[in-house]
Amino acid sequence: MGKKGQEEIVGFALIVIFVAIILLFLLVFYLRGQDREGIESYEVNSFIQSFLHYTTDCEDYFGGVEVRKLIFKCDDGIQCLDGRNSCDVLEETLKEITRESWPFGPERPIKGYELKIITNNKEILGLYEGNQTNNFRGAMQDFTIAPDSLEVSFRAYYD
Amino acid sequence: MVKRIMRNKKAQMKIQQMAFMLIAVTLFFVFAGLFFAMIVFSDIRRAAEGLEERNALLLVSKLANSPEFACGNAFGSFRTNCIDSDKAMALKSNIEKYEDFKGNFWEIEGIEIRKIYPADYAKTECDSSNYPECGKITIVEKQGIGVSNFVALCRKENIEGFVEDRCEMARIVVYYE
Repeated sequence: MGKKGQEEIVGFALIVIFVAIILLFLLVFYLRGQDREGIESYEVNSFIQSFLHYTTDCEDYFGGVEVRKLIFKCDDGIQCLDGRNSCDVLEETLKEITRESWPFGPERPIKGYELKIITNNKEILGLYEGNQTNNFRGAMQDFTIAPDSLEVSFRAYYD
Repeated sequence: MVKRIMRNKKAQMKIQQMAFMLIAVTLFFVFAGLFFAMIVFSDIRRAAEGLEERNALLLVSKLANSPEFACGNAFGSFRTNCIDSDKAMALKSNIEKYEDFKGNFWEIEGIEIRKIYPADYAKTECDSSNYPECGKITIVEKQGIGVSNFVALCRKENIEGFVEDRCEMARIVVYYE
């Protein structure tokens, strides 16, 4: 009888431990999932607003074209006055701006970033650099120059 | 007699089982409570982090959008987070007038505008002799902790008799105690 009781107690304790471990796992998975959502960042929002106004070296008859307008030129397949492809200028300019603005690397807090530009549900530019971690800050801006709509999103990945 | 002892032992066992069951139920509720608390507190922590960043950057943006710096409608349409570098240069050369005004006009310890891109003259301080081929406009000499935010740094440029708008990427850094 004594042995049987001890066995029951051990069995019961095992069940308690098992349930506790399951709950702990659930907790860990939940907290990891939380980080993946990221944080809406005011700084990233300002970055997007600022680079949209940057004057590129792609010129039209009115002078240097802003990034904001160059995106639509790229979408419409319009070239710069000097014959360069507007999409190439856009990509090159944004690559340089992003590299200077968000320096990343193993010894820095920023591990990587991604910049996406979507017009009329079509991705016209995607820049992906460094590593994508679960901890990121990002922002998205959309606006319309009729009939086209534009969506610009940026994410900076941290440690 | 023996039967009674056996019955007592069985009862003790039942009590022990009940005690373990109670412990298990308590543990379960403690874990469930912790789980719920983590959900609530992690959201609060995230919100606090976001607010802290937002407040610091709002201070910088407030300054960038003040009439002394802001582009306003000078570059076609109204722009936020846009600094007129011609205004900033004018302010730099007249800053002593602002310092006389109630000691410290903006109640901050320093203001600096740093060009990020193009980075050709990143470390060259701007003055009337090298502007706009320079990378840094120090309006109030810096001290203390710096908070910065991205801005578009715009100016009017005369190219062969035509006036053109030119905007570059910069950061405005505000230093406070």
